[in-house]
Amino acid sequence: MAWVSAKYAVRSVGRNARRTALAILGIAIGCALALFMESINRGRDELFARMGAYSGAGHLRVVPKDWDQQRDPRLRLADWRADLAAARALSGIAAVTVRARAQVLLAMGTHVVPVEMVGVDPENEPRTFRFVRKVQRGRYLLPGEQGTVLVGKAIAERLGADLDDEILASAVGKGGTIESAMLRIVGIVTTGSDDIDAGICQTSLDDVERLSDLAGAGEVTVILRDWRQTDAARALLAARVARGDRVLTWGEISPEFKGHIEQDKAASRFISVIILLIVLLGVASAQLASVLERRREFAVLSAVGMGAGRMVRLVLLEAVTLGFAGAVLGLALGLPFVWRVATVGLDFRRYMGSGYAFQGVIIEPIFYGDFGVWIVPYVLAVAFGATIVASLYPAWFAARTDPAVALRVAQ
Amino acid sequence: MNETIITTRALTKIFQLNKHQVPALRGVDLEVRQGEFLAVVGPSGSGKTTFLNLVGALDVPTSGELTVLGKRVAELSRRARAELRLRSLGFVFQAYNLVPVLTALENVEFVLELQSVGRERHARATQVLDELGLGDLANRRPNEMSGGQQQRVAVARAVAARPKLVLADEPTANLDGENAETLMHMMRDLRDRHGMTFVFSTHDPRVVTHAVRVVTLADGRVVRDEEKSGEAPHEILPGVGRPPGPASA
Repeated sequence: MAWVSAKYAVRSVGRNARRTALAILGIAIGCALALFMESINRGRDELFARMGAYSGAGHLRVVPKDWDQQRDPRLRLADWRADLAAARALSGIAAVTVRARAQVLLAMGTHVVPVEMVGVDPENEPRTFRFVRKVQRGRYLLPGEQGTVLVGKAIAERLGADLDDEILASAVGKGGTIESAMLRIVGIVTTGSDDIDAGICQTSLDDVERLSDLAGAGEVTVILRDWRQTDAARALLAARVARGDRVLTWGEISPEFKGHIEQDKAASRFISVIILLIVLLGVASAQLASVLERRREFAVLSAVGMGAGRMVRLVLLEAVTLGFAGAVLGLALGLPFVWRVATVGLDFRRYMGSGYAFQGVIIEPIFYGDFGVWIVPYVLAVAFGATIVASLYPAWFAARTDPAVALRVAQ
Repeated sequence: MNETIITTRALTKIFQLNKHQVPALRGVDLEVRQGEFLAVVGPSGSGKTTFLNLVGALDVPTSGELTVLGKRVAELSRRARAELRLRSLGFVFQAYNLVPVLTALENVEFVLELQSVGRERHARATQVLDELGLGDLANRRPNEMSGGQQQRVAVARAVAARPKLVLADEPTANLDGENAETLMHMMRDLRDRHGMTFVFSTHDPRVVTHAVRVVTLADGRVVRDEEKSGEAPHEILPGVGRPPGPASA
């Protein structure tokens, strides 16, 4: 776009100051709302990824072949030590741990509770599973310790057991034999969710090996420092794990949870689209009015030889000018809110209490937005995108001006 | 003999107004040669503006033949007509129609920019304004100029790219006598110095006296085509139509 045309477009925006101001305000409010929603979405992505990962899934998990189809806790890794070493060798790792699972019956007196018992590495498990970081009663498992167990409050209550009580754990071994062991409760965990409490039962890897009569670990769980690197890290790790073992992401491990997040995101994006649509119609209306007012002027421009393409670009340049002003104002309006949501958070405790559990994950009641360098290009893209789309019809209308008719009408 | 730049044969234009057909031109035969200074006169509704619109490739004829600068207008696409207007035609309108948000200089530059004139655009626009005695108005916007000044800037805009043909639709209709005289002198001087062809419509008998050829339309037909024998020399008004520089003795 040439210089005089650019001046024409920019100055034309200022012709009807009131209409322009309203259009800019509309774009700005739309941008600010879209920014707010996007910030929440991005923040929630991070929050949910973190909650999902630290609720046991990890960002990445090395699993045995066919685990994702069967989800059978008896499956074991081909070479868990090689997988663990490969995971630890990755860059950007926050924590790595190994686990082995077994379906067991816990019994005390006349009470029996079926659970999925997890054999863990006590040194690394609390770094990957946030519910055992703080043990409300008793203590966590110690490295090298055997014959002890940590349970959730719901399990303890169903068993009628308390700290230091001995409970009987029985499982079906590899050959179909019943294996059993007496385990002493050293800690009871209260997460705030009965569902989650009823699923926490941890002991040492050795105890699970003995009970299940299966050697080795069933998974290597990896927590990354930056969850956005999940796909890249997965590709690297997949190339290094033992033959036959597979690497899954947290979304693949908890597809229901991932689906819940996607559904949530889609809902808020839909709201953003509605907001932008309203802004778009407002801008389209203002731009069309502006073009209609200048019909004679466009006829003159056409008469002096301005082609349709150049006329479209002229109107779109006006739109970009409006969009830029709207984006600047939108940033001014939206940034303080987004900053507050990113630092103080949106507190839903009044409605959610201390959180709610979904698919084994406790959703925290305070949501934080994301605040980063993406904000400026995002707002510019929204503002320019909305104003350009909104101006396509007015631009086409201007380009279709019949100079003879428009000039005749003007006279 | 100068080359013929406009040829019309049985040129007809009929407008469709609701269910009615309104003929504006009913078979106009005319030839215009390069360098002519031609007035199209006639009462309101005689077809003057329609004729200029057709010659200016702003509209297409209903029937008949219209050739402008060797191009048959009816056969040109919308884009080709825009290109013809851009490259070869200049327009002056009754209501000046300068772009209100641009200065006089920018209005002239705008046309040059449309023609993709590059670096020399500013200098050429300044030169045209100076040549027409409008240098002082260069940085004024239309609302800061009188009607006469605006119309002279409109002429500057029309001739900036040195078109072969300039079409002016009632260019003096909104001007007082003195400004109308000034404008006609300016246009005639441009024609004399640059060989441009001017075709203009008018009601004003004072303006008609400046024309070298007068075509009278009535009810969409040419009823008189009068060429003055020997062109009356026209006086160049002081400060108008002279190139910048020291006045000649």
